[in-house]
Amino acid sequence: MRPSAADRRRPVWGDGLVALLVAAAAVVLLFLFRPEGGNFLTATVVLEGETIARYDLSALAGPEELEVEGAAYPITIQAEPGRIRILESGCPGRDCVHTGWASQAGQQIICLPNRLVISLSGGASDDIDAITG
Amino acid sequence: MKRLPFLLMVPLFLLCAGCGSQQEASRQFFAMDTVMNVTAYGPHGADAVQAVQQTVSRLDGLLSRTDADSEISQLNAHAGDGTAVAVEADVAQLLRLAQDASGLLPGTFDVTIAPVMDAWGFTTDDRHVPTEQALSDALALVDGSALVVDEEASTARLERPGMEVDLGGIAKGFAARQAEDAFRAAGAEAGILDLGGNVTVIGSRPDGGAWRVAVKDPQDTERYLCVLSLSDVTASTSGGYERYFEEDGVRYHHIIDPRTGWPAESGLLSVTVVSADAVLADVLSTSLFVAGEEQALDFWRGREDIELILCTADGRVLVTEGLSDGFQPAEDGGYSYETVRR
Repeated sequence: MRPSAADRRRPVWGDGLVALLVAAAAVVLLFLFRPEGGNFLTATVVLEGETIARYDLSALAGPEELEVEGAAYPITIQAEPGRIRILESGCPGRDCVHTGWASQAGQQIICLPNRLVISLSGGASDDIDAITG
Repeated sequence: MKRLPFLLMVPLFLLCAGCGSQQEASRQFFAMDTVMNVTAYGPHGADAVQAVQQTVSRLDGLLSRTDADSEISQLNAHAGDGTAVAVEADVAQLLRLAQDASGLLPGTFDVTIAPVMDAWGFTTDDRHVPTEQALSDALALVDGSALVVDEEASTARLERPGMEVDLGGIAKGFAARQAEDAFRAAGAEAGILDLGGNVTVIGSRPDGGAWRVAVKDPQDTERYLCVLSLSDVTASTSGGYERYFEEDGVRYHHIIDPRTGWPAESGLLSVTVVSADAVLADVLSTSLFVAGEEQALDFWRGREDIELILCTADGRVLVTEGLSDGFQPAEDGGYSYETVRR
């Protein structure tokens, strides 16, 4: 009589196949449900509460510029591999230009007069929860 | 092979268990002339972030100088005419706290600084160096002792015409205090209230550890000065590195020394105050920036309820001893780091 699975001590080919399938399923599920942004550094541009652009800064091949349409004051965003900034703004104060480049997850560039926020997420984060300053 | 479907479920269960522990609600909104980011983890998170936004927005409506209908605008409009302006109880409390704060480091913080801020154009769209006369006239109106607050009657008045209150140096801290209460009252126990760089951390991270809060490098805001490990405190930072203008090749920042009417030149590039009292953290970050290194450290030595990070213009980062656990300096930032002991 053939022994039951519980009685077998040595793994058989079928067990190996099951283990492989479980591992493969885990990998697929982890990929499907990976956190938004994953290892890609993403910059999201929000104007008046609406997302108007999203850049995968990790994948950019070269500099890109965006002249934001519909902003109260003329504003130009510049993205390049790994970082983003507000290149020029006609807003009063130009604090958004003073902020300079942002290149790490969690950083934000804000243009208050335009109600525009650029937020960075994902990337090879060094595990920062918030930024003061 | 009958086990196969069950075994294939294992990674899914594991994944879902992970999802549960990361349950997160977040919201971003504009208020108090800045952007607020609120995040809650765990049960009741959605209610908590909603409660925080309502709390902060309510205060913004009461305290705004740009909204003519706000209580602070009404108080300013009645300056010198003898009217005791009715205000909400918590607005009266805030005005009292602002007055008290003026006494912590006399001369370094004054809630009636508004005319000087206006003279520099920091509160309008036209930043410029004021004339000597304009600055002198504005400075003559800065007098916190001429703000009369009656908490019992819930009224306030300014004694001289032209005086104005600006709560910019304390309002976010007060909002953080109320917002934290609202957050907890909604049933949430862990999260972050980032009110324009004033960061209040509540409870602990989903992994059970302390929150990791980075401090901006005032000379390169793309970088960090350091990372702090914090729980149930507020970290507030003041510096002149983002809100400024240049005229004739000279940079003028927005933190005004009430004693001179000019941007503070204390030898500090930024001050971070960490305290369980959000109001104290907010107001002291400004006050200690104006005061400078020596006075700031003397002040710290006399108290148990604050810790400091001072970044000096000569490239030193001074960290008070209460923050040394979990402190992580920046790599290659070009600063020397010193722990300050009592």
